[in-house]
Amino acid sequence: MLVITCPVCGVEGEEADFHCGGEGHIARPATENPDGISDDAQRDYMFMRKNPKGVHFERWRCDRGCGKWFHACRDTVSMQIFGYYGITQRPPAALLKKADPLWQAHFEAAKKPSAKKAKS
Amino acid sequence: MSEALIITPLYDREAPGGLAIIMTEVVDLGMIDLRGLPKDKKFMDAAKAALGIALPTAPRTSAGMGDIVCLWMSPDQWLITCPRKAVGGLLAKLNASLEGIFSLAVDMSDARTIIRLEGDRVRETLMKGSSIDFTQSGYEAGTVRRMLFGEIAAMVHVVSEKPDVFHLMVFRSYAHHAWDWIEATAMKGSEVEFLSSAEAPPVV
Repeated sequence: MLVITCPVCGVEGEEADFHCGGEGHIARPATENPDGISDDAQRDYMFMRKNPKGVHFERWRCDRGCGKWFHACRDTVSMQIFGYYGITQRPPAALLKKADPLWQAHFEAAKKPSAKKAKS
Repeated sequence: MSEALIITPLYDREAPGGLAIIMTEVVDLGMIDLRGLPKDKKFMDAAKAALGIALPTAPRTSAGMGDIVCLWMSPDQWLITCPRKAVGGLLAKLNASLEGIFSLAVDMSDARTIIRLEGDRVRETLMKGSSIDFTQSGYEAGTVRRMLFGEIAAMVHVVSEKPDVFHLMVFRSYAHHAWDWIEATAMKGSEVEFLSSAEAPPVV
């Protein structure tokens, strides 16, 4: 059982008081380009996940507290939670350093809009 | 024309004898759901002008004056309780005051039901249904806490202490479940006694 602290309202609760929203930082392709989404882009958005062994960035909701979403950085092996940050924020550098190279590549790619466009 | 009757969800329930706490349904409280941005000074001022009290911004707190009590639900959501008869007037006042401001005020009196729990065993009874330790500091009079209670979403408001009076708010459709749960767990003889000052038995 995880013990989680909501960074929004500060409440500490067990896992059942929260709701896991799955992997964070997934951009919805239709937001940027509603008319021309490729099947590949839509497939990646719907189904493809990083699923790393180790430090992971997830979305969580303070279900029985304030009802707000936030991001948590959790180790998928040891279940240790390293930190929290806002739902609109990117992971702090210190947390990103710990994370799997998959994640570092993810944010590197997001930094360069031209590279992202070429991909899709 | 016949007059409309307000039928509360638990109108046909009465607490059985042999309970360690006093349990009643609160039928005369109306509720208004108020949403707006706490960073918006215009909104906070307008709400204060209509309600007469500043909205509490600290998590899990409440503010009250006279009949009106504002309960913190979320950084941008408050539940305002007032006598049921006064809901219409207060809502009109709020809506007039908040006109043009990004906000929402709705009469939610029938969305939830309020169960009033009174007595020294209330904290213990609530602890049987939730993961919260109500004996810790932080659950003084005025505290508001949303929680998972008896597998359902609930909210508790510590109305007063010594004797403890708690308001347990659950959605209307869960009213019977919550009532049954408390009936079963608040029976005399089901005390767990861990709140007493007696020393813990030695571990063998």
